[in-house]
Amino acid sequence: MGKRKLTFEEALEQLETIAGQIEQGKIGLEESIGQYERGMTLVKQCREILSKAELKIQLLQQRADGTVEAAPFDRAPGMEKDS
Amino acid sequence: MARQPFDPNRIQARSTKPPRAGGGGPLTVSQVTALVREAIESTLPPTVHVAGEISNFKRHSSGHLYFTLKDSFSELSCVMWRSSAGTLKFEPTDGLAVIATGGIEVFERAGRYQLYTRKLEPRGVGTLELAFRQLCEKLSREGLFDERHKKPLPAYPSRIALVTSPTGAALTDILRTLERRYPCLEVIIDPVRVQGPGAAEEIADAIRRLNANDAALGGIDLLIVGRGGGSLEDLWAFNEEIVARAIFTGRIPTISAVGHEVDVTVADLVADVRAATPTAAAELAVPVREEVLADLSTRASRLLRAVQSRAELLATRLTAVRQRIAFRRPLDPVHRREQLVDELSGRLHRSLNGRIRSSRRRLDEIEPVIQRIAPHTHLRKQAIGLRDAEHRLAWALSVRLAETTRAFDRQTQRLDHVSPGGVLPRLTDRLERAAAGLSTAMHHRLSLHSQHVRSLEELLTAMGYRSVLSRGFSITRTRKGRRVVRSLEQLRDRQRVATEIADGEFESEVINLSQLELFDEPWESES
Repeated sequence: MGKRKLTFEEALEQLETIAGQIEQGKIGLEESIGQYERGMTLVKQCREILSKAELKIQLLQQRADGTVEAAPFDRAPGMEKDS
Repeated sequence: MARQPFDPNRIQARSTKPPRAGGGGPLTVSQVTALVREAIESTLPPTVHVAGEISNFKRHSSGHLYFTLKDSFSELSCVMWRSSAGTLKFEPTDGLAVIATGGIEVFERAGRYQLYTRKLEPRGVGTLELAFRQLCEKLSREGLFDERHKKPLPAYPSRIALVTSPTGAALTDILRTLERRYPCLEVIIDPVRVQGPGAAEEIADAIRRLNANDAALGGIDLLIVGRGGGSLEDLWAFNEEIVARAIFTGRIPTISAVGHEVDVTVADLVADVRAATPTAAAELAVPVREEVLADLSTRASRLLRAVQSRAELLATRLTAVRQRIAFRRPLDPVHRREQLVDELSGRLHRSLNGRIRSSRRRLDEIEPVIQRIAPHTHLRKQAIGLRDAEHRLAWALSVRLAETTRAFDRQTQRLDHVSPGGVLPRLTDRLERAAAGLSTAMHHRLSLHSQHVRSLEELLTAMGYRSVLSRGFSITRTRKGRRVVRSLEQLRDRQRVATEIADGEFESEVINLSQLELFDEPWESES
């Protein structure tokens, strides 16, 4: 595994692979247990990803040099114009 | 050329009056054309609206448009300058029923009157409607709506970008829905105007900007482009080609969400997924978190079940295997192998002792022979004898040569008297050949002798005890007297002995005499 954190989708994909390996009995018991532990770590990671309870909202701004920057966005309700 | 108010009487009057120019003579073409022009332009109102069908439509490279308007009876030539043509929303085509607005003027060079069209509108359908249909047809021909270009939406996005008005109801709807369903999400808003001039460019720019900065922003899984409902004019930006192309070119999967259910825009047709409303777009974009969590629990228990059943299966197999004979008397094969090892080691021991004994016997036999031969002394004597012989031979030869030379000198002197120049050269020649032959024979003998000496030396080395030493044997001598130790009886405790091995000698002290009995049968009983 690299340093980059797995995305939810990647973690889920690995989980699927692990479950398949164990169920098909293609790996030994010892390896199965190792894979099971890895699978449970993945489940935990997925739960952590899902545990964030609030949207993180950012507003994109373009700098003078053309690069972009995301700044925190304040949701001010009641500013609707088109609808 | 100020226009006069329309007055039918003036036309009537003119046609009966003779022309102003020229007396009663013929008129020039230019004069006639000028008269026609004056008549038309003074008679017709400056702006007319003409209904007809377009034919012979041509767009010149200069940007001016040339076409003919016709109905079932007549045709009218039309020109539309580039400045007016640029404002057209739709593309004029042959057969299209239109209303052209402009003024009739005479094109004097061709002697033709034309409608200088300033505005062109489709009849029957609205301009925007027509433009929409035309763009749809064009992009569809190019394949921009093809199903094969549609990218699948990510099942579990972690970062979504929104291209919409930062103050619109659409944004509020989308954010509220996302938060309700899947709050573990990052949202980036790229604020744009969604109506009015320049809105289409802003929307297209935003789509391109997000696609270009995808990685810099940490990876965008999904794009939602849209706005709330409005009139066709309000939604128009999403019907512009520039927006359609930006959506089509982007690599990030895109959901379009423009207006209400009934509104379909070009952006909707190009997008990977069309949502009927902004709220629907958010629902399509993300799963419901509680469902995902439930799914995760199912997966975790499936994993546990898989491991458990695997372990149970192995346990069953283990029990079955333990019933088998090999496990009831597990040490049998081990014992069999141990027996084999014992047998082999006994054989090894015996054969080793035999080898040592026979080597020892041979050594004992050879040793006296070596002593007797004393090859060094023998060889040295031979070499000295050889050198002696060589010296004597050389001496005898030189003496003989000198004598012969002297004899010849004498003969030569005598012969000089008898037969000068006849016999002498022949004899000299013979003498020289004899001398050369003698020398060759001598060298031959010498090399034979040295070969003999070399082979004796080799034999000596082969038989010498040193070569035995190099095979790992050693000779131990008492330190005083340097007598070879052959028996324990020659030794006593703490006595110093010198042991010679292949490449040198070392001294040691005798301890524990009995330990020298390394093998079953001591050395002493062998010799």
